[in-house]
Amino acid sequence: MSCSTTPRKEAISTSTLPEQPGVFVAKRHHLLIRWSHWLNVPILLGLILSGMSIYWSSPIYQHKPDPLTGNFDVAADIGIWICAHVPWLHHYSSPPDWIYNHMSLGPCMLALALRLHWLCAYAFMLNGAVYAAGLIAGGGWRGLLPRRTDLLDAFRMLRYYIGFPLAKLTHPEWPHPSFNTKYNALQRAAYFSVPLAGCLSVATGWAIHKPMQFHSLAAIFGGFDAARVWHFWLMWVFILFVVPHVILVFADGWDTLRSMIVGWSARVKRSEVTANEQ
Amino acid sequence: MNNKPRGFFGERPLPKFEVDPQVLRRGTRRDVLLFGAGAVAALVGGGSLLPQDTLSRLGVRRNTDSPAKVWFLNKALRIDDDVAEAVYSARRTVPTYTKSQITPLKNNYNGATPDPGYIPGWHLTLDGLASGVSAALDIRSLMTRFSIHEQITRLVCVEGWSAIAWWAGLRFDDLLRAYPPMSQAKWVQVESSVNLDASGNPDPYYVSIDVATARHPQTLLATRLNGQPLTVEHGAPLRLLVPVKLGLKNVKAITKLTYVAEEPRDYWAERGYSHYDGI
Repeated sequence: MSCSTTPRKEAISTSTLPEQPGVFVAKRHHLLIRWSHWLNVPILLGLILSGMSIYWSSPIYQHKPDPLTGNFDVAADIGIWICAHVPWLHHYSSPPDWIYNHMSLGPCMLALALRLHWLCAYAFMLNGAVYAAGLIAGGGWRGLLPRRTDLLDAFRMLRYYIGFPLAKLTHPEWPHPSFNTKYNALQRAAYFSVPLAGCLSVATGWAIHKPMQFHSLAAIFGGFDAARVWHFWLMWVFILFVVPHVILVFADGWDTLRSMIVGWSARVKRSEVTANEQ
Repeated sequence: MNNKPRGFFGERPLPKFEVDPQVLRRGTRRDVLLFGAGAVAALVGGGSLLPQDTLSRLGVRRNTDSPAKVWFLNKALRIDDDVAEAVYSARRTVPTYTKSQITPLKNNYNGATPDPGYIPGWHLTLDGLASGVSAALDIRSLMTRFSIHEQITRLVCVEGWSAIAWWAGLRFDDLLRAYPPMSQAKWVQVESSVNLDASGNPDPYYVSIDVATARHPQTLLATRLNGQPLTVEHGAPLRLLVPVKLGLKNVKAITKLTYVAEEPRDYWAERGYSHYDGI
């Protein structure tokens, strides 16, 4: 069978010929979901780096100025502590700036950071719209909705993850809990919460950005100053999500990572396919 | 899993299809290569938008500052300014607070605080008026000719801090009515000639305010703060109080107002901040 010139759709229909068994694949992620997923990487990175540079100009967490250095910023204290306790950082040139040199564009960059933050923020909102369109077009939104059985299933998944390292050392049998849904309960909780955190970041962002025109929005979050605190901690929701997200994708294997690039997964049980076709 | 969807919210089984393994391999290779190209493009494109200082710290020696980069970032800033202008409403007033909610307001002069010696001879110059001649007003005539309004509002700094203070002064709108600007005026250039830089040298301060914002009922030419006449730290004898704009537009010790048709120069816009600054 020559496939080089055959369009994909035709190839699929001809592949049901009995002499050449095809492979079964499941459509997992809509094109718009995949696009918005990967665009989030540079956008969120830009938002966090510029956001921390904005934070530098007026930190939320402050204390009375140190009588010797005049420092009042808790983030600067953390940088000083890190440089004092990490052996290869003992001679770091500016310990109070360590956090800002590693988690932001750098100190003293407010004007540049604001431009990049607005640029990334508008891109983030557009990207969120693309993601929402993808969820609707692909019907994927149903797979993200929380279910009544989620709490129990989440405990089953947690037990699996917690027992996993020990099980690998002592006995090989440690089966992954089985689910007949696209995501397990923990995944669903994460993939439902992160878009929610995205919406809240946008809402708190507008509340801080336009506290007079949108003062009722700021009031929902407890006023201008409280909205800044919300906005800061929502950043940490993304950071705390991304770490296990990336680790687990690599632990889960190529099929999962590939499905976010090409859209389909080859992890399909033949029994499931025949059951669906009947 | 059964095939029948359980109601509108029930999860549907993923669409499955059988496909030729070779087609699958080709499709995968194409998509992964495209993805890789996109990732490289995003890294180079996004990375080059970072400030030069940040890139130097990351070990990038090449200078990425170009007119195109500046244009692109300025464009983003202008779009945000246009959005700010679009969401502004002349009828929407800012929240007011009670006296118990007043917070300390620091002297945020960007440079040194001016010597109060300018105060006795101070007067406000108005230019670009419909009459075609400029006017000079001293503080006594401003305070006696116009009714004084009070408000407890929040002043928000571009840096992120804010302060609630009790202000009193005349409405900018009342001044606009008494001294109408020329008909084509869309902007006010607000200047302070007494502003100093950090080493105490003269550094005149100038910002642009759109006439629409100047007419807002809560835009004051303030003479008093927290029940006391303005001190030199807070811009005695007259400062602009425009709570719908960032703090940097709230010029202290105003010496001149000029009504103009085209957007005038702005101290902070020239230093990389936005022009409109509506909040």
